[in-house]
Amino acid sequence: MDYKGLSEQLVKKCLKLGADEAEVYIESGRNLSIRVRKGEVETVQEAGAHGVGFRVFVQKRMAFSSCNDFSDKALKASIESAVRFAKNTTPDENNVLPDDKGITKVGKLYDPQISQTPMEKKIELAKKVEKLAMKDSRITKSSGASYSEGEEEIFLANSNGLSKNSKISSCSYGVYVVAEKGEQKSSGGEYCSRRFFADLKPPEEIAEKAAKEAYEMLDPQMVETQKAAVIFDPDVARAVLGGILAAINGERVLQGRSFLAKKMNQKIGSELITIIDDGTRPKGLGSKPFDGEGVPTQKRIIVDRGILKTFMYNTVVAKRAGVKSTGNASRRGFTSLPGIGAHNFYMDAGKSSREEIIKKTEKGLLLKGVTGYGIAPVSGNFSGGASGFWVENGKIAFPARGLTIAGSAFEMLNNIDMVGDDLDLARSFTAPTFRIKLMQIGGK
Amino acid sequence: MKFRGYFVEDIPRRKFLQMSLKGGVALAATPSLMAQLLSFTGSEKAGAKLALDPQILSNTIKRALEKGGEYAEVYVENRISRNILMEESKFKSGVFALSQGAGIRVISGDKTGYAYTDDITEEKLMNAAEVASFVARGAKATGPVELKKAKRKSFITVKLPLDRMADERRLEVMKRANQAALDYDPKIKMASISYYDEIRGRTIANSEGLLVNDELPLLFFIVQTLGVGKNTRHMGRERLSRHSGFEMFDEVSPEEVARTCARESIAMLEAKDAPAGIMDVVMQNGWGGVLVHEAVGHPLEGDGIARKTGVFTGKMGKKVASEVFTMVDDGTLPNFRGTTNFDDEGTQMKRNVLIKDGVLVKYMTDILSAKQLKMERTGNGRRESFRYIPIPRMTNTFIQEGKDKPEDILASTKKGLYVQSLSGGSVNPITGMFNFTCREAYLIEDGKKTVPVKGATLIGSCQDVIANVDAVGDDLAFGPGICGKGQAAEVSAGQPTVRIRGINVGGSRARR
Repeated sequence: MDYKGLSEQLVKKCLKLGADEAEVYIESGRNLSIRVRKGEVETVQEAGAHGVGFRVFVQKRMAFSSCNDFSDKALKASIESAVRFAKNTTPDENNVLPDDKGITKVGKLYDPQISQTPMEKKIELAKKVEKLAMKDSRITKSSGASYSEGEEEIFLANSNGLSKNSKISSCSYGVYVVAEKGEQKSSGGEYCSRRFFADLKPPEEIAEKAAKEAYEMLDPQMVETQKAAVIFDPDVARAVLGGILAAINGERVLQGRSFLAKKMNQKIGSELITIIDDGTRPKGLGSKPFDGEGVPTQKRIIVDRGILKTFMYNTVVAKRAGVKSTGNASRRGFTSLPGIGAHNFYMDAGKSSREEIIKKTEKGLLLKGVTGYGIAPVSGNFSGGASGFWVENGKIAFPARGLTIAGSAFEMLNNIDMVGDDLDLARSFTAPTFRIKLMQIGGK
Repeated sequence: MKFRGYFVEDIPRRKFLQMSLKGGVALAATPSLMAQLLSFTGSEKAGAKLALDPQILSNTIKRALEKGGEYAEVYVENRISRNILMEESKFKSGVFALSQGAGIRVISGDKTGYAYTDDITEEKLMNAAEVASFVARGAKATGPVELKKAKRKSFITVKLPLDRMADERRLEVMKRANQAALDYDPKIKMASISYYDEIRGRTIANSEGLLVNDELPLLFFIVQTLGVGKNTRHMGRERLSRHSGFEMFDEVSPEEVARTCARESIAMLEAKDAPAGIMDVVMQNGWGGVLVHEAVGHPLEGDGIARKTGVFTGKMGKKVASEVFTMVDDGTLPNFRGTTNFDDEGTQMKRNVLIKDGVLVKYMTDILSAKQLKMERTGNGRRESFRYIPIPRMTNTFIQEGKDKPEDILASTKKGLYVQSLSGGSVNPITGMFNFTCREAYLIEDGKKTVPVKGATLIGSCQDVIANVDAVGDDLAFGPGICGKGQAAEVSAGQPTVRIRGINVGGSRARR
């Protein structure tokens, strides 16, 4: 199907059916997922699908519709429903569409090899990682291994004359296992996601990490309720970064729903922290040539050595704030309106090695797992369940589970006193190992 | 817990899981929870009824089993939905979606093949059947069957059908909620009102000869309010949801929803830091039942039991909880958010007692896990849409009423935490470790609710928590939610006021 031609035609159709301005977003994709357990295939799921979303403005009133039926009748009905409903929404002069025709050159987002690789090879990969993870005698059960892949093509056109398209792919695989000892159970898992099939980590590495995560947490101990250092493993970076990302959402800021709303150009944390959002990194899992409404992506420094430098905007929210879009319109597929989101969002590497951070910790928790919502974007409060390893005199002493940690965002960010050099940019939302010198830990 | 985890109403985590698994690619084929929530259409009549020839369904099943296998199924779905958002007293957006498609499943031994198409033509159905049959290569084949329309009891009644409601009526309930929230207190600085409705048509046919179809309405109304104090802010939330017609708003007024929400926003502005450490917890009746949904319900789902990985594996007939504890999953409660007439595999909904007086008596199953476990089908095979394989899921899950008076439970608790409402939480179904975030909580001092506290997390293991329930009230109530297990499902969770002895509470203040 000529989706590019269709997207341009549909913009015209929207205008003909009563829209003053219109945007058409077509998404066409394919995915495959394979799950194996105990060396046998458990599920194979495969499908291709497409859909279209229409954003229309009628006298600056906005409405949106989507459908996955590409018959003329359904497309027309979908546009009409949006145009009809637009009379009910409130007019807003900020309702504008982007007009920047540029595209950021981002290399290597699509790997044609993924679809060329035979299914058997993908099944083998999943079987192999499971078998390797089960090799250790402490691992008693497999909760399954999986492989999945997807390809996606976007066609975006609007009434300002924009017409862009992009194509991306991704593949990932991993395994999840259980270690048992008496009545005790401990689970561990690891996966790897990449844009290119050939870049996937070897199964030996994935299997070892999954198994280790499970058996290392056997015989956990409780610690006393106390204040101590907390070392964040890259696996739990999201617990801190997630709340910051939500709090720099330009719309939340305008609505006062962010703990960072009044902190622009102010110190929000230790000068050891620099946070970056990069939509342009080659092969990046969060990279794209343009954002969810067609604005070219950028690399931006969000927090520069502790100072908050920018919020994130899409076109409509940027106009309201009196600034330019930062290229952060995010879209959760063709059924959704553009929101605001990050690309590759990470805390920049520091100078300490991970070993050094542990070595210099007299008493504290090396945090490997955290549950809960992370930092709350409105209040900045943080509270969650915690597990990991207890560190004493610079050495890992024993696994600890069933703990809690809590604090407030500013306290936590200002108390970051060591940042590791172990940043892995192959992940899209990450940080190096870092230490918060003092946090409330809840135990017995 | 990077790979799997079940949770309720925890959108960031779900997104995280999807991003982890799919490498950040939001595929058209797998819309996320929010996309699902924010979906819609205006073309009410466009394909609301599927005039699919049963012969085509039967041909598809035949093709799906041609390579072998013992079970095949066609699930055809059509969804018309609408979401309207009012924020800062403005109608910001109206989002409509029309979505249709069919999923074909083949089961051969313990293997499942699945494929779907968004184009419901015989040709595309046949293609999907081919793809789904991949797993059954070389297996013994089953003969063709004749489809017979099955009757299913209905638990959903509609007085004011959604497809006959003028948009003005929808906007009116939103305006009323907005006004009531802002009028509640000058400290309420903003209200966000989200209105969602959908009509989902389902046709299910399988190689056992089953043919069923129905149409389900759904309403989901969410009010959030921002309270702003001197140096504090709190976003309150209140939700109302049913499988029903528009009469839902006559039974519970939008103003009432808004005031409940605004009350929370204001009350929590005075909140102090929560204490940390192990303490007794009294949970108020209602949505707090999500704690047992997570901590006990997920580990009782048949898929984990069949894989022998779940914490309740091998515990059938054994005492797993205190004798005052009875837990039920009931998909037949009239018009409830977790109710349907039949599950997404066509099995009639039932009331299933899972734990009776502390003894484990039933697991929740779908067709596959029922077969693997050689147990009855409990009507828990559910799926988010035609894009997903059905898996065992909860419906309306609750702790059965007890005999204690809620006020006595509080009065007899000397010191601890009173949890008025929870945001949501998650569980690792293998280890049984759970966590919950409190929305609204108070200290209990000398048997009385005193200071509100913020940022409290409850953690523990499910085995401990149900063994330590020592008081169960007589005031059962429910709340609506979204449950995530790789795919979203509409659920209710409920409980009377209960007391749990000794839960680890995570706060930022050392206990006095």
